Amino acid sequence: MQLHPRFFGQNLRENLVSKLIKDVEGTISGRHGFVSAVTGIESIGKGLIRDGTPFVTFPVKYRCVVFRPFEGEVLEAVVTRVFPNKCCYSTDYFAEAGPLKIFVSNHCIPDDMEYQTGDMPNYTKSDGSVRIQKDCEVRLKIFGFSIDATEISCVGSIKERFLGLITDPGAVA
Amino acid sequence: MSGEEEENAAELKIGDEFLKAKCLMNCEVSLILEHKFEQLQQVSEDPMNQVSQVFEKSLQYVKRFSRYKNPDAVRQVREILSRHQLTEFELCVLGNLCPETAEEAVAMVPSLKTKGRAHSDEAIEKMLNDLSLVKRFE
Repeated sequence: MQLHPRFFGQNLRENLVSKLIKDVEGTISGRHGFVSAVTGIESIGKGLIRDGTPFVTFPVKYRCVVFRPFEGEVLEAVVTRVFPNKCCYSTDYFAEAGPLKIFVSNHCIPDDMEYQTGDMPNYTKSDGSVRIQKDCEVRLKIFGFSIDATEISCVGSIKERFLGLITDPGAVA
Repeated sequence: MSGEEEENAAELKIGDEFLKAKCLMNCEVSLILEHKFEQLQQVSEDPMNQVSQVFEKSLQYVKRFSRYKNPDAVRQVREILSRHQLTEFELCVLGNLCPETAEEAVAMVPSLKTKGRAHSDEAIEKMLNDLSLVKRFE
């Protein structure tokens, strides 16, 4: 962490930690995914003055909670959008698991579920027993994801057994 | 994003770093993030403005998808799952999804039946039963 001398003094450690939290929380690491929260500082090393500048660099070791998807992982998410894809007349939906965006194409939705338009577009099972629409909770499997500086997005499926709408804790469509 | 070996959670190929790291279930993350948020509330009138969007979305997500709310229950769940020779990753997926049957558990975490540990269906069912008891008496 780099700090300008105006932050030195009695509150040096506090200033360093605040800056760390501000700089690091909410960012995305290529290896570790989202950095959701810094949970503790392990150590702060000696500061070294950077040549030609008044800034001092401190090595800081810290603990944090990170969140990233894995290929083949099963997790729960909230449906945020159900909409038709105009290009190829397929119907896809987006879900979110916290900051993670998940895209599910209609190829990854069970064959017996059909898209229904209307005020509340949704996917309904042919026997009417299951309806998936915005704000529903679903269990899905991740198949591939990409991480860039601003977001992590992945592709998911609800086509396999034990995946799909969560009607109550422990029960799935 | 891939390392030398292709990642695959079903086979527990998630990289050494993550295999050895401490994994947290949604309910555990919920306790951590809520605690942090409460601390912010004490020093600021508008704590929501102080946190990143990632933090806010993560907090909403883990609160919504926590199967267990009570800290003692959360501790019990971890203790029950820890008795069964699971990796941190497997433990957390089971604690998050709370499958009802051994069949469902193996569908969610295929590696339960591999990696030379051969969890029997009976052992898995017993573990899931213990978990549901915690839920019932929470």
